Amino acid sequence: MSTPNFLVFDRVTKTFRAQGKRVTHIIDEVSLAIAEGEFVVFLGPSGCGKTTLMRMCGGLEHPTTGQIRLGGEVVKKPDRRKGMVFQSYSSFPWLTVFENVLFGMRYRRDLSAAAKRKRARFYLDLVDLTEFSQFYINRISGGMRQRVALARTLAADPDVLLMDEPFGALDAQTRDFLQMQLLNICRMEQKTVIFVTHDVEEAVFLGDRIVIFSARPAQILETIQVGHYLPEIRTPQTKETQAFFKLRNHVLDVVRTQAQNALVAAQAQR
Amino acid sequence: MPNLKALFTFRSQHRSGAEWLVSMVSGIGFLLLWQLIAQFEVLPPQFLPSPWSVLTALYTMLRDNSFLTDIAISVGRVWAAFLLSVIVAVPLGVWMSTYRGVAAATEPIIDFIRYLPVPALVPLLIIWLGVGEISKIAVLWMGTFFQLVLMVADDAKRVPKEYVEIGLTLGAKPFEIVRDIIFHSMLPNLVDNLRITLGWCWTYLIIAEIVASNSGIGYFIWSMRRFVKTPEVMAGIFTVGLIGLATDQLFRLAHRGYFRYLR
Repeated sequence: MSTPNFLVFDRVTKTFRAQGKRVTHIIDEVSLAIAEGEFVVFLGPSGCGKTTLMRMCGGLEHPTTGQIRLGGEVVKKPDRRKGMVFQSYSSFPWLTVFENVLFGMRYRRDLSAAAKRKRARFYLDLVDLTEFSQFYINRISGGMRQRVALARTLAADPDVLLMDEPFGALDAQTRDFLQMQLLNICRMEQKTVIFVTHDVEEAVFLGDRIVIFSARPAQILETIQVGHYLPEIRTPQTKETQAFFKLRNHVLDVVRTQAQNALVAAQAQR
Repeated sequence: MPNLKALFTFRSQHRSGAEWLVSMVSGIGFLLLWQLIAQFEVLPPQFLPSPWSVLTALYTMLRDNSFLTDIAISVGRVWAAFLLSVIVAVPLGVWMSTYRGVAAATEPIIDFIRYLPVPALVPLLIIWLGVGEISKIAVLWMGTFFQLVLMVADDAKRVPKEYVEIGLTLGAKPFEIVRDIIFHSMLPNLVDNLRITLGWCWTYLIIAEIVASNSGIGYFIWSMRRFVKTPEVMAGIFTVGLIGLATDQLFRLAHRGYFRYLR
């Protein structure tokens, strides 16, 4: 990890003004520094604003106050440096698997057509989809579609990989498999990753660091350096170790307490 | 052995295999009923000619160059107006869907004109454009353009937000997103809407040709009426239906062939 302040959230706040005068606070003064090559998981209840935070990092939304800096530069709009993988509609149905991956480099002028094809083949191979390269998206499974999206995003060579519950719609086995594959690829590619999820087990297994958010407005409840508890290189067996259980239970505790507090607070308001 | 029970089960999930047979029988039955009514002259023949006499009329008409010219003229008018509609409606519709300002400026006007009954515009169009080809094409254009542009805008709006955002995070500029993503994503729906619009063109064509024309299928039907040549009138209508059916099937075939990826 070379640059410790590679991606910086500097007192980021987001408010929405709904039709009337009511202002909804989505995100409340979040500050966070992410190192280059770090895999950070944003964990929090649904609708807490963690996705909004990630989208702001991608330049798709803008902070109301504060700023986000990537490599020292303030993030203003989306571009190829901030790659995104969505949960659904993550790849184009009118293109084949191979063409989808190729599309990741469509707007790069620094590569020749031949170099793009070579690179596309490389990333298809990395996500184990070479034999499906001529298939259309509707013909492959949900897990494969997410791998296509991952290959396309990696082919674009972004500085940071933003993943919004990419495995949220998949069954447990596929999810397990893809988690492992994602970790291997990220280690190989040395990518900085923000991975948004509400699944505690997934968070603990994937993250170098877990950032736990409160319910709306999102604030950082706790940050956990997973490396202090689990080996840096995770294997499927990691999920069966005592250390994994302990950490998972701790995170679950934090999440549950928070949910309860939020409920009590909501009732008190009424 | 076709599953007959499936034919009469409420919302049956199973194909019977005898659907085509039922369709055939009902079609032939209809013709037979028609033939019987005509044969026993339940209605006078100038009122309801037999299907056979309609068919004979159609055959004679199709061997006559003047009717073939009428068909060619009508088809030409329909396609000219249709293409003019498409050329303007598709870019404008997409533009409306991508910029709120464009939508706000154009939507009220389009919505208003869309509700004007096209036949009511015919006199006005004749005053403005005379009785030549231009006024006929204008009638068809008025009837289709304002509907089509809103359908195009809707199709473009329904393109998933994620697709556009994928483009943005890959460094695409707005026009590149329209060209490479929005257009491709909406294309299957667009082709469907074009098919429907082409059908409307035929409706308005006959109106235009009946009101002010001395050529085309509509004119032919109208002039045959003057001599109470009912078989020829029906054969003329039949021709329009056949052309419509044929184009529709072509559109469907193209849709199925080109959009293989949807299946």
